[in-house]
Amino acid sequence: MSTKRRRIWRNDLVALAFLLPFTVLYVVFTIYPVGQGIYMSLFRWGLMGKQGYIGADNYARFLGDRFFWGALWNTTKFVLYSTPTIILLSLGLALLANRRSPLKRLYRAAYFTPNLLSVSVISFLTIYMLQPYGMGFISNLMKTLGMREDVFFLRDPQLVWVSIVGATAWWTCGYNMMLYISALQDIPDQLYEAAAIDGASPSRQLWSITLPLLKPTTLLILLLQLIASFKVFAQIRLITNGGPGNATRPLIQYIYESAFDKNRLGYAAAMSYALFLILVVLALIQLWMTRETER
Amino acid sequence: MTNKKTSLGGILLEALAVLCMVLILIPVVWMVSMSLKTEGQQITNTWQYFTPPYTLQNYSTIFQTSKVLIWMWNSLFVALVVTGLVIVISTMAAFALAKIPFRFSKFMYFFFLMGLMVPTEATIVPLFVTANRLGLIDTYQGLILPALAGSMNIVIMRSFFRGIPNDLIESATIDGANEMYIFLHIILPLGRTVIVTIAIFTFIGNWNSYLWPYLAAMSEDLFTLPLGIPTFIGQYTQDKVLPMTINTIASVPIIIFFIVFEKQIVKGITLSGIKG
Repeated sequence: MSTKRRRIWRNDLVALAFLLPFTVLYVVFTIYPVGQGIYMSLFRWGLMGKQGYIGADNYARFLGDRFFWGALWNTTKFVLYSTPTIILLSLGLALLANRRSPLKRLYRAAYFTPNLLSVSVISFLTIYMLQPYGMGFISNLMKTLGMREDVFFLRDPQLVWVSIVGATAWWTCGYNMMLYISALQDIPDQLYEAAAIDGASPSRQLWSITLPLLKPTTLLILLLQLIASFKVFAQIRLITNGGPGNATRPLIQYIYESAFDKNRLGYAAAMSYALFLILVVLALIQLWMTRETER
Repeated sequence: MTNKKTSLGGILLEALAVLCMVLILIPVVWMVSMSLKTEGQQITNTWQYFTPPYTLQNYSTIFQTSKVLIWMWNSLFVALVVTGLVIVISTMAAFALAKIPFRFSKFMYFFFLMGLMVPTEATIVPLFVTANRLGLIDTYQGLILPALAGSMNIVIMRSFFRGIPNDLIESATIDGANEMYIFLHIILPLGRTVIVTIAIFTFIGNWNSYLWPYLAAMSEDLFTLPLGIPTFIGQYTQDKVLPMTINTIASVPIIIFFIVFEKQIVKGITLSGIKG
């Protein structure tokens, strides 16, 4: 009895020792800020600290703030434009790079390369590619091909989204392509062989075998993509800084500006919980989905 | 089944694959070739972007006039230290959760699962206030410590470690081995694959990380490459050759890293995809 109890206590202590270093950091930098943020959101709060309790005012105020809704709408637009673009392009690249071909490995590596570049690098590359007046690559190519017109990719409120989404797709498709490729490799060859014997053409095989079997992967990529896109900040901040006007300013940038440019940290903390809510819902769906697939 | 007929469709697809490769790589090739150009050279047609004359002048200018070496060192230092520490503390915690039968095991696991739902992006403001109170803003510790606090790695490692057979551990225990011995001599060697994968991803992620360093690093001497590049490029409005040179300098190390670890990176993406 007492040896057994001692054993239990000993295990508790040993486990605690192994868990301690991570748990301390996790509590301080992941869990505590969530509570701290709720607390801050109830105050007028500047960079120097607390300025006065105002209850739910911050929440009421951002719900009536058209810049908040504008920024949330911009983030949503980015999600709506980028998600299908990225999924379709990643799937296409995966199908291209998974074919029997002597250049297979090269394709994969090449399609994946932009994913390695830092966000600052891809942002400035985008800016320089799109400069007007024959200075940027695209504009120069258009001039070389004899087109006269100048296109202002980053000043036109529609084209600016094309540019941002295009740059993001170029940057991130390689990663999702790899997910698709590994799913493609899990499809047994016999399925295709049997279909070929039955006389199914390659395109028929694509529609009836490949695409249906890729559905779980597509769902996974869809969720990963939704989560990542709601967090969009860095490339927009660097490519357009939210412009022209506020046409592309995403929610995180507005939160950032409210906190550190306008010195309203309580207000920014309150707004963060709108984003938090969206992301928690998506994370829960994802957790539930991985549970389902693991079964 | 041999693919005897090189059909027209097959040739078209091959051509499409090559075309995609060219389109995807053009910006990267353009970046590198611009870094070899002389400042102020007139470009009349697009082909001239890629043709000689080349010069390495820009590289020596950048190394002499910018802090790029400091920023590169900071990126490397922060990414390496974060990776090393993540591996140490996460393997320890995941081992305890997976293989030590203690009373709060379930509770702790769910406590860590909760963290998967906390997006750093939505807690930057309170995180900044917390870090500021601890005196971490504008220090290396401030860049490093919050990057260690994500629970994703633990969840992945725990499920991997659970797959390690208990027989091995039991027979070692009978031979008188304690938990530290089991951790170092059974778990770590057998968990190699997942540990290497997580190490690679932690390294790449932190080498490229932007949002938190953007908040936590104030002085230029503490900047990492993703912060330093915009600062440097901000001084150049007209010419592109120096900005492109610094972009190239920032990209080369990570591309070499990819070439070296290609296999593990590809494997790792699948792993992270499954576990999300």
